[in-house]
Amino acid sequence: MDITRNIARFSWSSCIMNKKTWIVILLFVHILLCDCNASQPKIKVNSRQSCMNGTNTGQQRVQVEFSSQIVENEFIVAFKGYYSNSARAGFISAALREAGVTSWHLLPRHNPATDYPSDFELIKIGSHIADGIDALENHFNIRQVTPQKLVTRTLKYINETDEDRAEGNEVDKEDLQSHKGPPCNESDKADPCWTQKYHSSRPRTHRGPSSLAGAFWFSEVRHKNRKLLRAIPRQITTALQAEVLWGMGYTGAGIKVAIFDTGLSVDHPHFKSGRVKDRTNWTNEKTLDDGLGHGTFVAGVISSHRECMGFAPDADLYIFRVFTNNQVSYTSWFLDAFNYAILKKINVLNLSIGGPDFMDHPFVDKVWELTANKVIMVSAIGNDGPLYGTLNNPADQMDVIGVGGINFEHQIARFSSRGMTTWELPGGYGRVKPDIVTYGSAVRGSAIKGGCRSLSGTSVASPVVAGAVSLLASAVINRANVINPASMKQALMASARRLPGVNMFEQGHGRLDLVKAYQILRSYKPQASLSPSYIDLTECPYMWPYCSQPIYYGMIPAIVNITILNGMGVTGKIVDKPLWQPFTPQYGNHIEIAFSYSNTLWPWSGYLAVAISVSKSAASWEGIAQGQVTLTIESPAEDGEDTPRTSIVKLPVKVKVIPTPPRGKRVLWDQYHNLRYPPGYFPRDNLRMKNDPLDWNGDHIHTNFKDMYQHLRTSGYFVEVLGSPFTCFDAKQYGTLLVVDSEEEFFPEEIVKLKRDIANGLSVVVFADWYNVSVMRKVKFYDENTRQWWMPDTGGANIPALNDLLAPLGMAFSDQVYEGDFTFGDHEMYYASGTSIARFPTDGLLITESLKNQGYEVMKGESVTVDSVPILGLHEPGKGSGRVVLYGDSNCLDNSHLQKECFWLLDALLEYSSHGNVPPIFTERKSSLTFTSTELPERMEGNHLYRYSKVLESHLGTPQSRPLPACPHLSFSQPSPLNISAPTNLYKHNKLLSIGLEPPLPFINNPGVDGALPGIRDAPGSLNWDLGPGANMHSSENTNVFPVIAFLGTALVLVFLVNHMYKSKSKPRRKKPRIKKIHHALYGSPSRVPGV
Amino acid sequence: MLNSRILRKRWVLAVIFLFSLAYFLINIYRQSEKLVSQEDYIDRKRLLVQPDAINWEAVHFTQSNSSKSCRNSVQGKQLIADERGYVCNREEVDSEGCCRTTIPSTKRYTCDSCTNTGCCSIYEHCISCCLQPDKQPLLRKILSKTADTFHNLFASVTDHFELCLAKCRTSSQSVQHENSYRDPKAKYCYGDKPPDLQPVAIQ
Repeated sequence: MDITRNIARFSWSSCIMNKKTWIVILLFVHILLCDCNASQPKIKVNSRQSCMNGTNTGQQRVQVEFSSQIVENEFIVAFKGYYSNSARAGFISAALREAGVTSWHLLPRHNPATDYPSDFELIKIGSHIADGIDALENHFNIRQVTPQKLVTRTLKYINETDEDRAEGNEVDKEDLQSHKGPPCNESDKADPCWTQKYHSSRPRTHRGPSSLAGAFWFSEVRHKNRKLLRAIPRQITTALQAEVLWGMGYTGAGIKVAIFDTGLSVDHPHFKSGRVKDRTNWTNEKTLDDGLGHGTFVAGVISSHRECMGFAPDADLYIFRVFTNNQVSYTSWFLDAFNYAILKKINVLNLSIGGPDFMDHPFVDKVWELTANKVIMVSAIGNDGPLYGTLNNPADQMDVIGVGGINFEHQIARFSSRGMTTWELPGGYGRVKPDIVTYGSAVRGSAIKGGCRSLSGTSVASPVVAGAVSLLASAVINRANVINPASMKQALMASARRLPGVNMFEQGHGRLDLVKAYQILRSYKPQASLSPSYIDLTECPYMWPYCSQPIYYGMIPAIVNITILNGMGVTGKIVDKPLWQPFTPQYGNHIEIAFSYSNTLWPWSGYLAVAISVSKSAASWEGIAQGQVTLTIESPAEDGEDTPRTSIVKLPVKVKVIPTPPRGKRVLWDQYHNLRYPPGYFPRDNLRMKNDPLDWNGDHIHTNFKDMYQHLRTSGYFVEVLGSPFTCFDAKQYGTLLVVDSEEEFFPEEIVKLKRDIANGLSVVVFADWYNVSVMRKVKFYDENTRQWWMPDTGGANIPALNDLLAPLGMAFSDQVYEGDFTFGDHEMYYASGTSIARFPTDGLLITESLKNQGYEVMKGESVTVDSVPILGLHEPGKGSGRVVLYGDSNCLDNSHLQKECFWLLDALLEYSSHGNVPPIFTERKSSLTFTSTELPERMEGNHLYRYSKVLESHLGTPQSRPLPACPHLSFSQPSPLNISAPTNLYKHNKLLSIGLEPPLPFINNPGVDGALPGIRDAPGSLNWDLGPGANMHSSENTNVFPVIAFLGTALVLVFLVNHMYKSKSKPRRKKPRIKKIHHALYGSPSRVPGV
Repeated sequence: MLNSRILRKRWVLAVIFLFSLAYFLINIYRQSEKLVSQEDYIDRKRLLVQPDAINWEAVHFTQSNSSKSCRNSVQGKQLIADERGYVCNREEVDSEGCCRTTIPSTKRYTCDSCTNTGCCSIYEHCISCCLQPDKQPLLRKILSKTADTFHNLFASVTDHFELCLAKCRTSSQSVQHENSYRDPKAKYCYGDKPPDLQPVAIQ
């Protein structure tokens, strides 16, 4: 506790628990180990539980349902360790004999695992069941006895309806209840721990040191969950068929692997002697050893050679200790450690760490520098799923292999971060990440003191790939000159197996296939490739969200951000310009394409953003249009070549075009005025979410407003994203402008234009959020990474800026912060830290509610309920004009920390804004509140919003607006039509060019490549993990036995000596003669010796 | 009472005592070994590369008589610095990794983007500048009083070129508030001073 307090100090709360959880949020990096327990709905026995498959597939999704019931008289006896069949039977019969239970028998299990020691047994008891169970539970080798359950699972497709959301709520409620924890230690009356009873539905405790104990070890709950899944293989290497490569004699030899983690002890039994080449410490703790177990586990997955196998047992390990035992780490430690890694000419580097700050330039630059020096970086994508927009740096960089997690059922693990990158917002569109997924849930690896344990998290998935990459690199070590970060990534992507029903922003290119990647690498020829390798905007669900909305004339162009990987050299460029070739027979001329791309592809990668738009000729056309983009990539000559290396890449394009929808159906989402972390401290929109203080998911309809977007699509609205100022769109095209939770200032020109647009029929719907200067000062905190106090630059939303925008309409929001549950019609609502309306035209429709004054609560610690808080206002300024709607809270639309959604409200408001129909639910509740003139909120004195703003001038003193930037102008590429047709299905396993024909694999013993998991079966002879039952248990006991014996022995000797002395004291006479005798012998005179 | 009799026998006690003693001795020895390794660790941190242990000899061979290949700075986006101190465009690197000296744009020992404080805005210029023979005294001085964090790094450096490669990289000395550069304009330094502190970058 003391140590964690040193890491960060927060002024807000006196609650110890909260201090712990706040801490790591702002540390730049954190270890990506998952605490799945907290984020998964708990499964109850006998309850019907439904698990959602990872993705929303547009209209449908797969639902896995299972029900379980207890089987009578059958019990699972779980032992404290792994024992052989006979030993288990012995224990049970001994226990039951004592209890006098005679009619019982073991239920045989027929599976390959029966030959191996197990830690449980199935038993059927005929009579005296209660006695029998008691006896079993009292046996010292038995951990617990549980009733046998029959689990029935069904798969079905269901439509994406309200059911989904209802379920979400259920989970949230459960979460709330389960977290209404113990009262906090309230030491300061003015600063009470008032948030303690609420927790997020998506706790991110894995980031905090406090979570470590809970997150690290598999807890009971997790075990219960696990039983419902398929069997978990004992060896992760078997699940990926590493034996195939081992069988060919490749074991990672000659490859230098760096592990940036919590260190490793020097004599861990799982590593071959001499393989740990170097251990260095870059932290301020003077040790090289792992005190957490994270580094040991990661190193084990990469190169353990006993018990739980790693992929490359003969690779040279370079251990970099960059995390303290308290999970503290600084950018500067990483910089120095990375420099050392470059100097040591590391081949593969695993980073099971990540953080949200992709604007940490020194770090990002250094990662580029590393890959530019041919270090293959593998990094974990993050454990912040299932929310979108949660990718972690450095895994989200183009030159890094970003790894997501799946479970052994080949579903995306719930914790795995996903969604596009948010670097490119607001003007552009994010890149596809993760690059690849692999097993990251319940993977077995090395424990800190020998033995094995299971862990989950993308932290685990990353070393799986890093180990596989090391093994691959050693298998093609004779072709070392073509192996580089790009070619390795290309091979992994091209060989990956796509998971069905999961979109590319969750799975990237799919699941790692080690053997196939090897085949590709063996014949790899340096070249460039694209990720994704084609654009098919009709393919669902893989190309979600593109496939969820067709394109039409007049739409803000759909942007696909393609990553170019260039295996030919660290630097390269696109020759001339990319060429757009519409296919004439397939109506390619109906679409127009514009490009923007990296001038230099460095290191090994670059981007190609493809903006797709519909030509005017197709304004009322409906159909599918196809074409292709061709680009030539060039890199300087290498290896004695005379001419530069070139590679021609083709990018097929396929889009669905529809006639332009009517104005009322078109909704414009304002992205331009949403700011997020990084770089600034933009606080959460829900003040109760103290363990997650930053607004960092991008606030985009395809990140944390994904469900809202999906709902609008289902309701028939077409949603476009405005990444430029209000002056840059044609208001006549749109029914409604949605301004949700905006943090940015507004240009004076925007304010003028919006007023005019409203008069001309554009409706505006604003979802604001809290803003109060005192509260903002209260939520400042000390960030230990930057060693600075962090003061928010706005509240949840920038109310003063919004008020400037709304002033011409006679509307304004207040600086009050309200919170509370209420009912609206028959809908349950939760107002999570919202503002209220301070001014509204008298002829407008205003709705009030009784809410708690949360601002007062934060400041004074007392809860006060306020009646008639105006939260919703509807107004139509004039005949023929658009309508304006204000609502004070945006949390019910936002997936992050969503507690009760209000998509129905958005529907109703859009019905009003687009068509002018006031739903009766509003008219019924019309309030006759009149405003007394209130002071409007002011901007906080000395705020630094100008640092992050696109609108404010960067200078000290009173902030001023910059000159209005020019609107982005797309210059569409000159088409060069081709009279050919493309196949209807663009997705094929994208082949990389190879040298010559692919030679067959000399040795393959991989039965059932894709079908059943090769799982539980082990390759005979190749492994020596079966050291006998409970090997790890025994070894740990052995170490404890010696000191005890030694201590007892010494104690015994001591007791004897004491006893002896006591005896000699109590019987002095026995000694006397002897002394006398000696004396006599020495001096010969007995007379002068005094008696004792 | 056979047991207690046996226990009273002196030789039994002696055996037990000796065993225990041996165990404790071994244990203490092991611990001291651990302590030693701990000291070792600290020592290693303190151990400096003696400036004389480094090969300071400049690489003098030129294009004409080059049968030898060059090490170079590998990573550059546009430029490459080779171990002889030449800086050239990537396209002008020959198959041996050396800069083609005949090209007019190739420069040796250039300090083009470097300031007086020993910091440069281009990494390759920093290397080239650092390789100047007259920079040796400065580098010797740096080596002889390196801060703690750089021991691991400089302990592995073998010659002048490697030292310049390592020294010019951005490091813990280059940042303020961890996540921003002290001077984003001139961040690659061969000198003994960190980059000049600039106000936090405005984005």
